[in-house]
Amino acid sequence: MSASSDNSKSLFGYVAEFPTASDLYHAAEKVHEAGFRRWDVHTPYPVHGMDHAMGLGKSWLSAGVLVGGTTGFLFALFLQFFTQVSLYPTVVQGKPTNLFTMPAFFPVTFELTILFSGFTILFGLLAVIMLPRWNHPLFTSKLFEKATDDGFLMVIEARDPKFKKEKTHDFLQEIGAGKIEEVAN
Amino acid sequence: MAGLKDGDNYKDGEFLKSPTLLKLICLAVGVGGLILFFGLRLAMPEKAGAMGYSWLFAVVFFLSLSIGGMFWTLLHHASNSGWGTVIRRLMENLGVMVLVCLVLGLPLLVPQLGFRDALWEWFPKRAAALEVAAEKAEEGKAAYVAEHNASLEKVTGELEKAKADFAAIDSPSPGHRAHFERSIGSLEAKVEELSSAEVTEEKAVKKLKDKFFLKEEALLYVKRAYLNENAWYLRFWCYFIALVGIAYTLKRWSVRQDSDPDPKWFRWMRRWSCGFLPFFATAWTFLVFDWLMALDYAWFSTMWGVYLFAGCALNSMGLLVIMVTVLRKAGYLKNVVTLEHYHLMGKLMHAFVIFWAYIAFSQYFLIWYANITEETKFYLTRNTEFWNTFTIMCLVVGHFFIPFVILLVRKVKMMPVVLSAIAVWNLLMHFCDIYWIIIPERGPSLSAAAGADIQMTIPGAWLFDLLAFISVAGIFGYFLLRQLGSASLFPCRDPRLDESLNVVN
Repeated sequence: MSASSDNSKSLFGYVAEFPTASDLYHAAEKVHEAGFRRWDVHTPYPVHGMDHAMGLGKSWLSAGVLVGGTTGFLFALFLQFFTQVSLYPTVVQGKPTNLFTMPAFFPVTFELTILFSGFTILFGLLAVIMLPRWNHPLFTSKLFEKATDDGFLMVIEARDPKFKKEKTHDFLQEIGAGKIEEVAN
Repeated sequence: MAGLKDGDNYKDGEFLKSPTLLKLICLAVGVGGLILFFGLRLAMPEKAGAMGYSWLFAVVFFLSLSIGGMFWTLLHHASNSGWGTVIRRLMENLGVMVLVCLVLGLPLLVPQLGFRDALWEWFPKRAAALEVAAEKAEEGKAAYVAEHNASLEKVTGELEKAKADFAAIDSPSPGHRAHFERSIGSLEAKVEELSSAEVTEEKAVKKLKDKFFLKEEALLYVKRAYLNENAWYLRFWCYFIALVGIAYTLKRWSVRQDSDPDPKWFRWMRRWSCGFLPFFATAWTFLVFDWLMALDYAWFSTMWGVYLFAGCALNSMGLLVIMVTVLRKAGYLKNVVTLEHYHLMGKLMHAFVIFWAYIAFSQYFLIWYANITEETKFYLTRNTEFWNTFTIMCLVVGHFFIPFVILLVRKVKMMPVVLSAIAVWNLLMHFCDIYWIIIPERGPSLSAAAGADIQMTIPGAWLFDLLAFISVAGIFGYFLLRQLGSASLFPCRDPRLDESLNVVN
């Protein structure tokens, strides 16, 4: 027990290769069932339904985007009504300076809603995936290079509470992994 | 991925057991409504104008739904999509309804019914202007010919005088010679021009007709190449052939594929759809120019075609959602259509709610800001009295904000009943949209034509609108049910069936 936990300190985790996308999909279901938390799959192309097999829930990003978009919407309206209607009423083309100036403010409102939503998506996504960073332990793995070529890979990290060096290795073999590589931290 | 469905298990298709009772109810409502509507038309000749607007409204509403069905079929093929193969037959069935709708629109073409001239004022105005012009031309033709002959005589006299003057000079200087040669030359040319244009009375009448037509109705004169009876009827039959031809061709090929293992029909549909699309788009765009934009012949909007089209695409997708839900409740398409399809259809509905609002607002915005008299007319009518509240509540809030906010939620798009409820709401708003396009013209047009004070609405005429709508709805429902039973409910041997059955998004 103590040996394995000592080892796992210098160990980042396992990279396991599966022969086909379908095998990887079923393996992902089993890993999810086994209760692992810190793991991921890497494929050269998107596999439909993989998020479902991995038991991934809905990302909180969409809620963030709603908040971002609403902020942009309100900010644009405030900006325009405050400057063009209350602070310095500006008459353009004989249009009124009151609530019925609304159509003139719509393009800017529309744009700012989208801009703020876009920013929330970009920065929210960077926060979720913890980018940018200098390096990643997986980059030392030879096997991992296949993720952008023809490999269907699964990575289980050693910091997962369920991770046990030998047991997890056996488990990966049991669910159909071909080549398994240890990745150092 | 687990338990992929195999298209081979679905190759027999699913056939609708004819819902006889429902069909009979639809037919009874439709035929009863038709008899009542046209009976009332005969009983109340003074209401013919008001009823014309009702009929146009009812026909255009259902026509727009079938046009949307055609659009989705064509788009599905042209973009080589796979997701919607299982609901493509429903789109095709909706598309072929275009025949029923256009046939129901034929009464609008018959001048004796009094619909045509009340709807499109340019018909009577043009006829009246042409009549006045013909009369005036007849009166003025003798004077015109006389004037022509007089001017010919005058120029000939001038020419002879110039020749005589020239001959009278004994030894003309080079300056004199040049001067006379020039004036004689130009006079000779004039004489030739006038005498070669042999003016008969017939020619005079033709010339004068144009002149007086321009004086009577300058706008209709300028637009005479487009806004004239013959071209209008010719265009209608072109739209008819294009739309009906495209819809029936696609349906026929698709049904043949159901029993033929050779995928050539599928390939034909894909290839030809790209060629059909421009004709489809042109036909629909010009149909709404002729039928809806021409309700006020002085008004124009370059966004008109796309505005009408946006509503079609949105609401026929809504109708598809409702049809799928009802069919599933009745026990059809159970294993064929999944929640993934609902999600996709919901997303398309959401996209088109936004697209419709984008186009509608852009059209309004440009006209509102530019503030040009002949353009603002359209919105001015629709911002007066009752129509102002109607515009804001139905089009701004009901058509855009409510469905937009509700459809933002992902779960809603995967709940068939809720999504269908939103689709019903959208159809109701589409009803208001088409109503808003056509009916506000009625009060001002009819009261102006009758020479009375301008009224915004005709009291009690909404009853005709409702009656027309219900009768067309009955006929539409009956034929749609017949179409649904005419073949399998989904294309059962389509090469893309596997992909569609297992779609994940």
